[in-house]
Amino acid sequence: MIDTASDPHTADTRSAVAQRPRISIVHVLERFALVWLLLAMIIFFALYSKTSGVFLSSANISNVVANESVTALAALAALIPLVALRFDVSVGAVLGGVSVLVASLTVNSGWALAPALLAGLAAGATIGAVNGYVIAYIGANSFIITLGMSTLLAGVVSLISHDNTIVGVPQALLNFGNDSWLGVPRPTWLLILVALLVAYLLRYTVFGRQLVQIGSNPRSARLVGIPIKRHVLRAFVLAGTVAAIAGALELARTGSGDPGAGQSFTFDALAACFLGSTTIRPGQFNVAGTIVGVLFVAVGVNGLTLAGASDWVQPAFDGGSIVVAVSLSAILARRRGLSSAVL
Amino acid sequence: MPVIAITDRSPAHAAGLRLRSLSKSFPGTRALDDVSFEVARGTIHALLGGNGSGKSTLIKVLAGVERGDPGGTVGFGESTAPSEHVTPDWAAAAGLRFVHQDLGLFENLSVAENIHAGQRTPRRLGRIDWRRMRRDAQSALDRLEIRVDAGESLAAVRPADRTLVAIARALPAADDKARTLLVLDEPTARLAAAEAHMLLEALRRYAERGQTILFVSHRLEEVFALADAVTVLRDGRHVHSGDIDETDETTVVELMVGRLISRDQTNASLRPSRERPARATIMRVDGLAVGPLRGIDLTVARGETLGIAGLVGSGRTELLEAIFGARAYDEGSVEFEGHRLVPGSISAAIRAGISLVPEDRSAEGVFSNLGIPENLSASDSRRYSRKLVFRHAQERSEAARMIQLMEIRAASVTASVNSLSGGNQQKVVLGRWLAMDPKLLLLDEPTQGVDIAARHDIHLQIKAMAGRGCAVLLVSSDLDELLRLADRIVVLAAGRVAAQAKGPELDHAWLAAHMYASNEEGTAA
Repeated sequence: MIDTASDPHTADTRSAVAQRPRISIVHVLERFALVWLLLAMIIFFALYSKTSGVFLSSANISNVVANESVTALAALAALIPLVALRFDVSVGAVLGGVSVLVASLTVNSGWALAPALLAGLAAGATIGAVNGYVIAYIGANSFIITLGMSTLLAGVVSLISHDNTIVGVPQALLNFGNDSWLGVPRPTWLLILVALLVAYLLRYTVFGRQLVQIGSNPRSARLVGIPIKRHVLRAFVLAGTVAAIAGALELARTGSGDPGAGQSFTFDALAACFLGSTTIRPGQFNVAGTIVGVLFVAVGVNGLTLAGASDWVQPAFDGGSIVVAVSLSAILARRRGLSSAVL
Repeated sequence: MPVIAITDRSPAHAAGLRLRSLSKSFPGTRALDDVSFEVARGTIHALLGGNGSGKSTLIKVLAGVERGDPGGTVGFGESTAPSEHVTPDWAAAAGLRFVHQDLGLFENLSVAENIHAGQRTPRRLGRIDWRRMRRDAQSALDRLEIRVDAGESLAAVRPADRTLVAIARALPAADDKARTLLVLDEPTARLAAAEAHMLLEALRRYAERGQTILFVSHRLEEVFALADAVTVLRDGRHVHSGDIDETDETTVVELMVGRLISRDQTNASLRPSRERPARATIMRVDGLAVGPLRGIDLTVARGETLGIAGLVGSGRTELLEAIFGARAYDEGSVEFEGHRLVPGSISAAIRAGISLVPEDRSAEGVFSNLGIPENLSASDSRRYSRKLVFRHAQERSEAARMIQLMEIRAASVTASVNSLSGGNQQKVVLGRWLAMDPKLLLLDEPTQGVDIAARHDIHLQIKAMAGRGCAVLLVSSDLDELLRLADRIVVLAAGRVAAQAKGPELDHAWLAAHMYASNEEGTAA
């Protein structure tokens, strides 16, 4: 029997009825807070005299959206192991490494574009497999293993590139990175495709659901027969593969394999995942929230840059928003008396 | 500070612990009902009682963790306080020292750090004075004749000595041992026989030097070897206090159970006669050695409910986990439907048709931040997966059916499990496995921490499963539950099957006698 009259949060207190509406308002506010803030920011920059001219121009919008497609792909890569509460801080390094590898294969070794791209994906998947094997089967801490892998990759990239930026990548790749289709930049189409696939994976496949269950309670997951090790290994392989796609896209956007380009994506990617965990489905890492998280930071930084803010503003906004948003969401979760899987 | 200390200098009482009319009510139950007794200074006093008798509540009230109801008093030495004003500070000032069942030690720290935990760390020029810390700890250990090096890591200390380390922490050097009462809650429950023996020897020595000790135990053997006096509680009431010499094991078990033990007075009316035609054996355990258990042989038939009784630490949980593949075992085999189960493979056990409802619901049962449907389908998500789609609608509608069938009270079908009460969470965990129609259901304390209505519902479901031919292994500390549901009961003690019975011989008296009494063959010291 479904008892709709009793409020489960407060079943033991006398004020159950009085508290019910307040809880649901807080809940709705919390659930969409980041989305409202994002819209408020867009409206503000659209009206503010210093930014209104450029902010809503189609050139600015497609530039932001195309650039952020790379960050968003890196965030989706980090998201997959993160739903099982494993960190992958090597997504930025894989992204940068694959970008340099594809550039080097096409420019220096004369490979055709297609095999070079395949080699890049294979490299990403292999790095993910090594991460996943060490973390799942040897039982090492995911944060430190992927941090180590990240530094190791920086060394390998330096070896391949001799610390030079590689220019002269095939025109076909550059076209993909900078053309539009139906008015939307092609990189964004790629992002939409991958985002839908990851969302499908987490929601419509047994593997994805079990990954979420591992993140929720690993001991319960073991006792219902979920193959935790195998799933964690696979999650890292997928993370490496998606990070490699992001690397290829970065090369297509910029046209050059820059050995130093990758590392900065790791923070942005993880920040977007954590920002995203405060919205849409608060307390859980989710695809839609992660995309909102990427846009939130991107719109803020873009608007502030157009308004003529100095260089220090971007990292301050970037870091500040993650500290504030995640703290607020922890406070709300505690007030509701619910433990969150993330925080 | 509102410490109420009435000086009581009447020499007859100044000595030991004095409890007067101690009561403690919780909503719906009275855990302690007008309990009065005394513990004389310099004696070892055993506190006995079955599950739910109020022992733990009594200790919590003494420690100030739970406030007693108004009207009672607690006195020790020269201090007396109304029971509702007993706080941890008052208990400490009065001289009450506690070592709880969970010792609260830090395994990865040194013995010295463990002894100083919670006390002021010795400092020198503002920095931690490690040398003095170690010296003080060593002298505390030496004083109690504990042969442990204070510099050692606790992980390297044997189990009995760990309890002694906890005692050393509870009894600081500044204490006058004649003015303190050491309260030990089941100190030997998790120790093997030889380890328990060592610990008891040490307690005996402390008592000879004037230490007053109140201890809770389920092992009557050690109570009679150690204690000077004994108090028995039953259903929250005080039923007996007296010298140990004036009583014997049979009398004490009778007092704990509240019924006369007599083998010919079979209490058949307690349970319906459930003599069924013999059914085929579905599972056979041969020579299993796991945890404290050695050489366990068991069989269970289709449709049979086998109760497993035993004290905490007797290996009940380990037995279920070994069968389910959740725990590796040293020796023996588990055969299910004629095939040997792969040791340590949970998925093989589930595929064969075995289900486990674990003891610790929140840590090992539920996915608390996920919804009821995900929790119900967790053991068999594949059921809803068809080619490229996942049938969420079907998952939800089957969840709604299960909610109705199990009478789970929830705000909505998709409510997250942490919004449910304990009893409803347990129904979700049980429902998860019932939906798979298992052939063998392993239940570890299925109604622990569950309200009466939910307990009743869960019992009905277990009976219904058995009626459909499912074999059930039921581990429970609740004797009523075992007697109500089990066709046959085995008692685990001293690492083996100490007794088993079925049909008319099964009653409280039989169960209590074998659980609490020292068993004839089981003294493997």
